[in-house]
Amino acid sequence: MIEMIKVGRTYDPDITALSDISFSVETGEMFFLIGRSGAGKTTLLKLICNMETPSNGLIEVAGYNINKLKGKDLAHLRQRIGVAYQDFKLLNDRTVAENIAISMEVSYKKPRAIKNRVRELLDQLQLVDKHDTLTGELSRGEQQRVALARAVANSPRLILVDEPTGNLDASTTKQVMELLTRSNKAGATIVIATHDESIYQQSNHRIMELSNGRISSLTRGGKA
Amino acid sequence: MNFWFAVLRQTGRNLRQTWTSQFMTFLTVSLSVLIFAFFYLIYTNMIGAADRLSDDLRLIVYLEDEPGVEMQKQLRRKITNFDDVEEIHFISKAEAYERFAKQLGNDSDVLADMPKDFLPASIEVVPLKSLRGYSQIKLFSEYLASLPGTEKVQYGQEWVERFYYFTRLLTIVVLLSGTLLILTATFMVAYTIRLTIMGRQAELELLKLVGATNSYIRTPFLIEGLLQGLMGSIIGLSALYGLFQWISSHFAGPGLLNLFHFNFFPPVVIASIILGSICLCSLGSYTSIRKFLRI
Repeated sequence: MIEMIKVGRTYDPDITALSDISFSVETGEMFFLIGRSGAGKTTLLKLICNMETPSNGLIEVAGYNINKLKGKDLAHLRQRIGVAYQDFKLLNDRTVAENIAISMEVSYKKPRAIKNRVRELLDQLQLVDKHDTLTGELSRGEQQRVALARAVANSPRLILVDEPTGNLDASTTKQVMELLTRSNKAGATIVIATHDESIYQQSNHRIMELSNGRISSLTRGGKA
Repeated sequence: MNFWFAVLRQTGRNLRQTWTSQFMTFLTVSLSVLIFAFFYLIYTNMIGAADRLSDDLRLIVYLEDEPGVEMQKQLRRKITNFDDVEEIHFISKAEAYERFAKQLGNDSDVLADMPKDFLPASIEVVPLKSLRGYSQIKLFSEYLASLPGTEKVQYGQEWVERFYYFTRLLTIVVLLSGTLLILTATFMVAYTIRLTIMGRQAELELLKLVGATNSYIRTPFLIEGLLQGLMGSIIGLSALYGLFQWISSHFAGPGLLNLFHFNFFPPVVIASIILGSICLCSLGSYTSIRKFLRI
């Protein structure tokens, strides 16, 4: 699903965020990206979804060189990638339901299907009572779950999640991980950037650690 | 859900969120159309009136002596050498006397002591419809005045001249007001769309990230411009029609309006104004999209 070969990203005036990154993520895999703050996890996710372009190297997603895609082709690929951003990117003057629906609206899903899917996700994340609440009025933890719901709503082939449990308690973290696991079992490839050890230590998934913008280790979880 | 449903819903959201600036733009467009159409309506009616008046236009060439048959032929040839004309009538002194007596009606007695040849003979020239421009008529009258045996040429010079300058002034007013109002309306629409784009950067960025196509993002802004043009022109023209009806009903009867037979725009002109307004507002919207919507 994801191929990265010798990818680097530098910012002006000469700050290296990522350097010499090469790895692959198989279709249907759940993949963890770990590392300390500033290690390059978020930059890596941004490169995968083409929010940023690499300074060098090749990135292929679902067989496409994502940096060469433009217009409709890029839009269609993005419809198949769900991203839960670290800063959530929620529209604070819109309701929770409207925020989640947005990713399905751009793929022209039927209104009834959108409505049902939104209810289903809110139910799974225990946010049913927040259906008509403006996201600007939610707590950080609730906003985080809404961002995650939006990322998975359109049943994308690839889900990128940046710090999904940063603002959550143990029980909500469990709900979030259950939701991601369900999507993964349904066939979605999932990449999770986190430094919450509790969500990857007991898994059998691959874990890639970044340190100062480089891959420092690529291992399997403790359960493997 | 199809593309148009999604786009129209997005347009509805945009309009709801920025309704105050949208309303101001709508008012500006309506007012621009109203002012422009008002001047244009007066202009078209004046042109119509000028056409009707020119139907009665004839040049009277007063002659020093009554021309004989041969002279009439020569004069006719000379006149048609300049340009073809609708009609040429030679009016003898006796005919002129009879006409004058007829015009005087019951007062024709005043002519009793006058000789029947005291009025000059003349030629009545009805120019072609294509030769009804002020400068052409002037040129033609100068030519006729230069013909041998001509005393003077009359065609209501003062009236024609005044009317000509008035319609010319009106043309300038229509052109100027049209240009200014077109620029105002286009600029206002462009500015409103720009404000909408600026105010919704976060949403536009998100739409892009979740896979919205360029047309999904751009079309609602174009539709906004289109709606501004459509609604603005309809309201502007409706207001003008109301004004026209009010003036017609309050100033009906023998007066200036009846003299000019004021008419409202025919459907083709109404459709053209609406279409023009739609095109200009869409253009305003399009320029803002091109300039400020980075997708």
